[in-house]
Amino acid sequence: MNNEERDDSLQGRDTPSTGMGPEVKSVSMNKPQQSFFGERPLPAIETAPRPLRYQSRRDFLVFGAGALTAIAGAGFLLPQDTLNRFGVRRNMDSPGKEWFLNQALRIDDDVAGALYSVNRTVPTYTKSQITPLKNNYNGSTPDPGYIPGWKLTLDGLASGLSISLDIRNLLTRFSVHEQITRLVCVEGWSAIAWWAGLRFDDLLRAYPSISQAKWARVESSVNLDASGNPDPYFMSLDLATARHPQTLLATHFSGQPLTLDHGAPLRLLVPVKLGLKNVKAVTRITYSAEEPPDYWAERGYSRYDGI
Amino acid sequence: MSRSRPPDGETNSTSTLPEQPGVLVVRKHHLLVRWSHWLNVPILLGLILSGISIYWASPIYQHKPDPNTGNFDVAADIGIWICAHVPGQHHYSSPPDWIYNHMSLGPGMLALGLRLHWLCAYLFMLNGTVYVVGLVIGGGWRSLLPRRTDLLDALRMFRYYVGFPFAKLARGKWPHPLFNTKYNALQRTAYFSVPVAGFFSVATGWAIHKPMQLHWLAALFGGYNAVRVWHFWLMWIYILFVVPHVILVFADGWDTLRSMIVGWSTRVERTEVVPNEQ
Repeated sequence: MNNEERDDSLQGRDTPSTGMGPEVKSVSMNKPQQSFFGERPLPAIETAPRPLRYQSRRDFLVFGAGALTAIAGAGFLLPQDTLNRFGVRRNMDSPGKEWFLNQALRIDDDVAGALYSVNRTVPTYTKSQITPLKNNYNGSTPDPGYIPGWKLTLDGLASGLSISLDIRNLLTRFSVHEQITRLVCVEGWSAIAWWAGLRFDDLLRAYPSISQAKWARVESSVNLDASGNPDPYFMSLDLATARHPQTLLATHFSGQPLTLDHGAPLRLLVPVKLGLKNVKAVTRITYSAEEPPDYWAERGYSRYDGI
Repeated sequence: MSRSRPPDGETNSTSTLPEQPGVLVVRKHHLLVRWSHWLNVPILLGLILSGISIYWASPIYQHKPDPNTGNFDVAADIGIWICAHVPGQHHYSSPPDWIYNHMSLGPGMLALGLRLHWLCAYLFMLNGTVYVVGLVIGGGWRSLLPRRTDLLDALRMFRYYVGFPFAKLARGKWPHPLFNTKYNALQRTAYFSVPVAGFFSVATGWAIHKPMQLHWLAALFGGYNAVRVWHFWLMWIYILFVVPHVILVFADGWDTLRSMIVGWSTRVERTEVVPNEQ
């Protein structure tokens, strides 16, 4: 009797449910033949209320625990300023927070490293596609007094020597390559610019690094901070990227020798990295086996910055 | 011929426990679908908050700097407008930061915003994969596929939802459009579109994140500058989806909300009965 009642309540059924098995056919859809993409009716299950209640209670507890974990996770990960705005007065900063976020950053750096290939070149553009490139010194353009006495110093060489080169040495010894590439800033803006200079790879061939070197520390001693005080800039660059054919030590911008704004007389141009790795007014390159410190990595940005 | 669900007190002759009255339920959402559904809440919140912090560093929508304030950011203009016109906000300390203080981690947090964004983005991709696996295992994907009739039916549902409050106020009849599928056409469109938007958010995100190694991806969306605009507007799909989604789930009732936690629903109309497997 009960089965019949149920059948009445479920239109379109022609087989009484015995509850026992395969003779129950799916007949509640209009078409008896189902296409692969066709929606199937939701199977209804007759179940005892008590196990259902237990299962539901378990699900609510587990999901509730998940929600609490998410809130705790947000408290753990969000910056203190943001938490303050949400009315959290307690100091939630912990060393674990930095560690955890840095781990996430390292995973992303590893992905970027895996994407890099010395044979994959970045897109180049025509002169009509060039866009303005802003001077990102943010008002603290250094005094040009350093330019006449400028020298590039190389350390960590296989010869064990420390080499100093002036701009004339560099321009006469190495062939100059031109490229119109995009420079992408970590902030999100970008600019297409016309550069010329020597290949970093050529410099590495002329003055080989120590054999175990994997890194270059690239320094500019002519950088200023926002209030105009000296703020030496240092950056780590992996040698695999330094050997990329489009990694230049640029001497020219838009067909002219580099101006003060763009890092005269020599800047690093590494289009496979974010703009912050493109050090202006490079004064020293030091090769090392160990990863050197990085100005922006110390300020919470990624170390590898491959794009 | 009532279409209502069977009374709960009905004696269940098929139950393994004959003295227990049976309950008829349908399996609605696979466990993986439920988990990934709820995990989207903190992940998307993290992505949006950190994303707007990243946006702050180089806004897409800019104008020539204001001669008086030097402001060039449209989002800052909106904050200034809000503080000038919205009651209770007149004494806000930094009107240009209003949007960033209310919709992001805060201004001047690019490094932290990026780290949180990458963390949430990897979790989002993982979670999206879990969701798709849940849809496949549970067979739920078939209920989400668009139909040829969806456009008209979705408009009919839209008309129903918009007119519903007025009909209730006028105490008039406002019949729910009939359908015999798991979701109505408007739901289906929304639930299908959001994972698609998720896919495009991930694709545009990678295009912005790796504009050199994956330059072909940015080219698909019209170049690096265009892909940033795509990524920004895709965010609004989630925001515009969530508001009616939450309103409607509460309007629809406890069973619908509960089913996303426990997986089953007692709404057994339009379904077939299969024997208890327990």
